[in-house]
Amino acid sequence: MSTFLQQLVNGISLGSTYAVFAMGCTLIFGVLNIVNMAQGAFFMGGAYFGLEAAQLGLPAPLALVVALLGGGLLGVLSELVIFRTLRARGGHRWMGLVASLALARMLVGVAQEAFGTQVQRYPASPLLQISWEFGGVRVQFLQVVILVVSLLLMAALAFLLQRSSVGRAIRTVAFSEDVARIVGVPVGRTILITFFLAGALAGASGMLLGNLFNVVSPFMGEQMLVKGLTVIILGGLGNVPGAVAGGFLLGLIEVFSVAYVSSSFRDAIGFGLIFVILLVKPNGLFSSFEERRA
Amino acid sequence: MSAGFSQFFASYSNIIDLCLLNSLIAYGLFLALSANMFSLATGGFMALGAYCSVYCTMELGWPFAPAVLAGALLAAAGAALIGAPVLRLRGDYFMLATFAFTEVIRVIALNWDSVTGGAIGIVNIPRYTETWHLALAVVVMVYVVFTLRRSYFGRAIAAIKQDDVVAQSMGVNVFAHRLSLFVASGFVCGAAGALAAHLNFFVGPGDFGLLRSVDALIYPILGGVNSLAGPIVGAIFTTLLPEALRFSNQLREILMGALVVAIVLYLPGGAMSVFKLRRRRPQTPGGAKLAPATKQAQS
Repeated sequence: MSTFLQQLVNGISLGSTYAVFAMGCTLIFGVLNIVNMAQGAFFMGGAYFGLEAAQLGLPAPLALVVALLGGGLLGVLSELVIFRTLRARGGHRWMGLVASLALARMLVGVAQEAFGTQVQRYPASPLLQISWEFGGVRVQFLQVVILVVSLLLMAALAFLLQRSSVGRAIRTVAFSEDVARIVGVPVGRTILITFFLAGALAGASGMLLGNLFNVVSPFMGEQMLVKGLTVIILGGLGNVPGAVAGGFLLGLIEVFSVAYVSSSFRDAIGFGLIFVILLVKPNGLFSSFEERRA
Repeated sequence: MSAGFSQFFASYSNIIDLCLLNSLIAYGLFLALSANMFSLATGGFMALGAYCSVYCTMELGWPFAPAVLAGALLAAAGAALIGAPVLRLRGDYFMLATFAFTEVIRVIALNWDSVTGGAIGIVNIPRYTETWHLALAVVVMVYVVFTLRRSYFGRAIAAIKQDDVVAQSMGVNVFAHRLSLFVASGFVCGAAGALAAHLNFFVGPGDFGLLRSVDALIYPILGGVNSLAGPIVGAIFTTLLPEALRFSNQLREILMGALVVAIVLYLPGGAMSVFKLRRRRPQTPGGAKLAPATKQAQS
């Protein structure tokens, strides 16, 4: 029983970082109907921005803000350099995939050049060493912080999308770009904001996961991209609440399959699951019966 | 002359082999892309072909040719098995399902120690693949694609690529055509995997992940998905470029990325559209009117 609860705690804190990352991926998909393969690189970039800020002596909350802004900046860059140009030229939508992958490789190369290929760690803080025991279940202060920050980010995004004028604009563009243009929504600016939000979420999750595992390397993004894709399939493409649920679900699946099945099959169970879900319920586990997008 | 050629061949034979192999893979993907199937299953197919053929030659003692055939057939069978349900899915769901397939195969390869050697992989594979095998395979592939494009089948595929609903309403069996192309793509990628395994002395699960699938897609897309020579141009370009940029490992990645981005942005139809660009330029007034229509057809 205590193993179960312990894994539950670990899975929830891991899953919350997946959820934050996947919200960004699914947001871009919902608005533009493309998968931005450079999200993994933004994730890595955010981890390094946070690391640099922390090494400069900034307190952790400020470092997180730096990671958010840095990731968002990379997102804006990808829109301005690649996606906007491609839309203007009427390129095939596959070209966006290829170009965003190339951008990701470039960013990995830049990170290697700037920070070296060595794994780096966040500066140790006495606060993060704290942990509590509840009947055989160890809860680290760090895990609680990560969960709280993730929940705050989710709430902030939900508020932004549902209640603000920017959010209304984003939802209109997601519904139809032409309709948005007719009713006077500035489409270009709205898409730019979407890319900023997605990049910022990726950057923040980079810092969170970098802290959770205490590992930052130029190659951490690729693995995360795979997880992000898995989560958005679980939750349904373009479905933000689905991405949150899918993130927690994937975190729990991974942790429990390590504890109860075998560590080597951790990934196989996740991927096998998405394969089955795509065949049985291609709109995601949490989709309603109607098709959300044609 | 011939001495100079043989010397050139001796010092660059590795790169030539790699170019030919990647061209073969590029044509495998070209088949899938020609019916709008953005497949990330290449890594999985190559892994099936590679492990199966290595098992046949090293464990069962088969000769090389039947082993390659067995690998290719296994990959084709895999394609038929996943193609049947997955082809129902639209666009991006198809891409993600094939991606999941590749990852499942990779994880199986990582854990089925008795056959695949697990994370260490299989070493000391006898080197059976000769350059002429690869060259022959590419030539056959080009010939097959060339004939296909002029046949009834090829025209049906072209119609599906333009608009599958219209193609269906004109009596083209979209599902059967797509499935047969997907199986053919699996066959070619499986054969390429088998040839690659017997070329490199080594196979490991790391060779066949997402990166492999994505690289394979980049060849035909960079070269151009509408021209017969596109895949070979894209494959040779992306294989030679890293060799030319060998002076710095990190800089190489950056320059590679920058070049690919530049090609995508300035030649959205692929590198082979350079020629069309020049030919069409005098008639641009009509082109402007046509642009929205083609854009709609593509989306």
